[in-house]
Amino acid sequence: MSFPNEGNLRRAIAFFAALGVGVAAYIAIAESGGGSPVCLAGGSGCKTVAESSYSHVAGVNIAVFGIVGYLLLLASAFLANDAARFGGFLVALGGFGYSIYLTYIELFKIEAVCQWCVGSAVLMTILLLLNAIRLIGYAGTAEGLPSRA
Amino acid sequence: MTVSERRTRLLRMAAGAAFLALAVVLVLIVISSSSGGDGGDTKLEGVSAVDKLLAGAPQHEMTLGNPKAQVELIEFGDLQCPVCAAYSEEILPTIIETQVKKGEAKIDFRNFTIIGSESITAGAAALAAGKQGRGWSFVDLFYRNQGGENSGYVDDAFLEAIAKGAGVKDLAKWNSERANLTAEVEATTQEAQNLGFGGTPSFAVKGPKTNGVKLLGTPQSAGELESAIAAAG
Repeated sequence: MSFPNEGNLRRAIAFFAALGVGVAAYIAIAESGGGSPVCLAGGSGCKTVAESSYSHVAGVNIAVFGIVGYLLLLASAFLANDAARFGGFLVALGGFGYSIYLTYIELFKIEAVCQWCVGSAVLMTILLLLNAIRLIGYAGTAEGLPSRA
Repeated sequence: MTVSERRTRLLRMAAGAAFLALAVVLVLIVISSSSGGDGGDTKLEGVSAVDKLLAGAPQHEMTLGNPKAQVELIEFGDLQCPVCAAYSEEILPTIIETQVKKGEAKIDFRNFTIIGSESITAGAAALAAGKQGRGWSFVDLFYRNQGGENSGYVDDAFLEAIAKGAGVKDLAKWNSERANLTAEVEATTQEAQNLGFGGTPSFAVKGPKTNGVKLLGTPQSAGELESAIAAAG
C-alpha cells in the first residue's frame, strides 16, 4: 500500500492547522468583546451559538481550546518523528470528537448553526484524516522514510 | 524494540484512542440528551425558535405587536404554569403569525401569579426584560425552559440565562430593576382576580367592538382566539 510523501502530508497538516488557528482566533476575538462572529451568509446562528451557555467551559471560551489544539497540530507538522505523528493524531482525534459533540449540541440543543463552528469541524475532520494517514503510513519509521506496510 | 514492534504498538494505541474517543463522544451526547429536556436549568432550549417566532413583531414593555393595533388581546399568565407554556408553544404562535405580525392585533402579557412566590420573582424579571424591549422573548423562552412548579429552579442563574437568551442587552440594569417590580406583578394579579379569573392562562380582548374589556376565559383553540380577535375589531 502506498502513502503520500510524509513531507507533503506535513505541509498539508500545517496549512489546514494554520487555517484552523485563524478560524478559532476569529471566533475568540469576536466573542471577547461581548459580541459574536458574523455569519457571512447572514442569519443569527452565530450570535445564538455564541450567547448560549455551551460556548464556555469552566468560564473559558471553547474557541480558546480550539486555538491551542490547532497550534499543537501546527507544531506536530514541523517534526517528523513518532511523537509528532502520534501526538498529532491524538490532538486531531480529540478535536474531531469534540466537534461532533458540538455539532450535535448546535443542531439539537441550541437549535442554531454557526458557520464558523461548522468550518472548524470540517478543518478538524480533514486534519484527522491527514494525521491518521501519516501515522499509519509512517509510524515506526525514521524521518521521511515510508513504512513497508 | 524493533521498528516493526514499535509500529505495531503505536497503531494499537491509536486504535484504542479512537475507540475511547468514540465512547466519550457517545456518552457526552447521551448525557446531554437526557439532561436537557426537563427544563429549569441554564442550558437553554428554544432560543432560536423564539427568535424566529417573534421576528417581525415589535415589543414594547410587555406588549407584542404594533402598539397602534386596534385590538388588544390580554393574556393573564403565570410563568410557572405548564398550561401557559403549552399555550405559548401550541396556540399563540398561530395568533402571532396570522394577526399580530399583520398589525391586526397586539398581545399584552400580564402576570397572574397563582402558583407560588417563584412566579412573582419570575414575573418581575419578565417585566424588567420588558423595560428593554425583550419582555415577550423572556416570557416565551422562560416557558420553553420551565422547570417543576416551586422546585427552586427560578434562581438568579436561571433568570439571568433566560434574560441573556432573550436578548436583554443591559443585564446589570435588568438585574437592578427586577427587584423593584414585584408590586407591578401583584397589581396585575389583583386585576385578574377583580375580573373574576381563577386560573391561568386567562384571556380578555379589547377593541372597537367590545365595549370595554370582553372576558374570554381560556379558549381551547387558536381558532377561538382568532374569532374573538376578529369580532373585537
